[in-house]
Amino acid sequence: MAVSFKPIRSLLQTGTNTSSRWFSYIGLGIGVLLLLCSIQMYINIQQLLGGESQRKDGSDFISISKTITNETMGLLEKNLFNANDIKDIETKPFIEGVSPLTANRFRVQLSAGDIIPFSTDMFLESLDNNFIDTVPPNFAWQEGQNYIPIVFSSDFLEIYNVFAPGYGLPQLSAETASQVVVFITCYGQNGEKQTFRGSIVALSDRVNSIIVPKNFLDWANNKFGNTTDVKASRLYIKTKDANNPDFLNYLQQKNYKVNKDKTKFGRVKQVLQGIFSGLGIFGLLVVILALMLFSFYLQLMIARSKDNLQLLLMMGYSPNWLSKNVSKQFIPVYVLVVLVALALTEGMQWAFHHFAMFDRPELSSLLHWAVMGTAVFLIGLSLLTNYRMVKKLLYKLV
Amino acid sequence: MQLQLQQVLPVYFDEDHRTQSEVWRRNLTFEKGEYIKIVAPSGSGKTSLMHFLYGMRNEYNGNIVYNSANLRNYTPEDFAGYRKDHVSIVFQDLRLFPEQTVQENIELKRQLNPFHPAEKIREMAERLGIGNKLASKSRICSYGEQQRVAIIRSLMQPFDFLLLDEPFSHLDDKNSQNAMQLMLEEAKLRNAAIIFADLERIDWFPYTRIFHL
Repeated sequence: MAVSFKPIRSLLQTGTNTSSRWFSYIGLGIGVLLLLCSIQMYINIQQLLGGESQRKDGSDFISISKTITNETMGLLEKNLFNANDIKDIETKPFIEGVSPLTANRFRVQLSAGDIIPFSTDMFLESLDNNFIDTVPPNFAWQEGQNYIPIVFSSDFLEIYNVFAPGYGLPQLSAETASQVVVFITCYGQNGEKQTFRGSIVALSDRVNSIIVPKNFLDWANNKFGNTTDVKASRLYIKTKDANNPDFLNYLQQKNYKVNKDKTKFGRVKQVLQGIFSGLGIFGLLVVILALMLFSFYLQLMIARSKDNLQLLLMMGYSPNWLSKNVSKQFIPVYVLVVLVALALTEGMQWAFHHFAMFDRPELSSLLHWAVMGTAVFLIGLSLLTNYRMVKKLLYKLV
Repeated sequence: MQLQLQQVLPVYFDEDHRTQSEVWRRNLTFEKGEYIKIVAPSGSGKTSLMHFLYGMRNEYNGNIVYNSANLRNYTPEDFAGYRKDHVSIVFQDLRLFPEQTVQENIELKRQLNPFHPAEKIREMAERLGIGNKLASKSRICSYGEQQRVAIIRSLMQPFDFLLLDEPFSHLDDKNSQNAMQLMLEEAKLRNAAIIFADLERIDWFPYTRIFHL
């Protein structure tokens, strides 16, 4: 229909209260601005803190243990992980693998023989080889073998080197440490004891423990500790991202203890994302409020122009055509409002990147496509809601 | 092109009307090219009938059928097409946009489905003696002038039926005849029917059938 809307426009402008219209434009602008800024900041946080935790091999390894409280103190069963706990963890989507850290259940003494006059009670643990960062080929044990290979925590070596001089012991380099033969004496409950030779075959940055081959510890626990069912006091977990909020929530909910430092970013991210999600929801509410206010303005306008609109419909103007054209009137204003909000968001992002983040490469000074998409979506949404409402009101007038 | 009345009676009328009236509760068919005169004293439902035929109200029993389509089944869009292309009307209460000029009032109808070029507005206005009023707001025109504006407006579109509801109530005989002449010419151009409802018989309407409401 090549009918012109121009002469009809003046029939709708029945003068009067334009302030409510301007309030709704401003409200819409503020709401859109809040929403877009929140989305952009949410993405920024994702990019800043999500990138930080990516390891070279793509996964994080962390150990967790049950928090020992005054109530569970001394109750070994409650402080250890049972098969169900492990199964439950394994099913979580953010977990790539779980391995229990099994400890010795008998007394172990370690001495350095004659070269270094040093002897101490020790503990041993075993872990799946997959979870150890450095596994040399000779890290294996067979029954009857007197030699035990050990994967030693580099942190422990450092600690040893700190206190060694005080006890008149020699400080050891990583190379020397691996050449020192130590004697591991296992004591059984009935007074039996057996001494093995051992040496450090690798130092591990990842595992804070003294790791021996799993089959050795299983055998020794059976022989000296008289137990085959050894429950784990610690679990090693392989996960894509130790800072994943879902993962952290899960740990919190289960009351599992984890190295706080490893998940520090995750916790910061959790809080920040919470804040910006809240702001985003607030922005969305403001947008909805503004749209409602605008729909009241439209209803008022249509109620005021009711006689004119009714007469137009009576003359044969199509209600559909009229609704389309009435709502089309607001396209420029809506586009303008959203564009201004988009420009302000872009300014905010540029300033944030440039002044607060000093042009860090993880971020971009430009807006993320999702923000642009949201802006386009909001324009569409507001036009559609207007069109539907005007159409509904006009159909009532026919 | 037929307009049919099938047993139509306003819901707010008593059944007695059916015996007195030649329209209510009857089956009538109006064809293109006919000139129908409906003589209707006050309160007999003249304006109701016109509004029913134009599809503005549906508080009646029975059916009104245009080209075998029942008006009751029309959607709002269907009514728009019906009023734009097939049926035109001069309301008793005129229904002009008071704040628009005479020219604008007519043009609003003309642009919808132009039967005449825009220049025709001036020509008709001058012929009916309101050529000097085209630029005036319609609310400051006299009722008689407004009546002529409404008549010109109704002639801007194509139609099969032209409904007239007391179109000359505020016009003197000379002006009425003048306007009637114009409407007859325009109806002829379209081979359209005129359904003319008025309080009493008017001699200068060459009706082909007459009904007492």
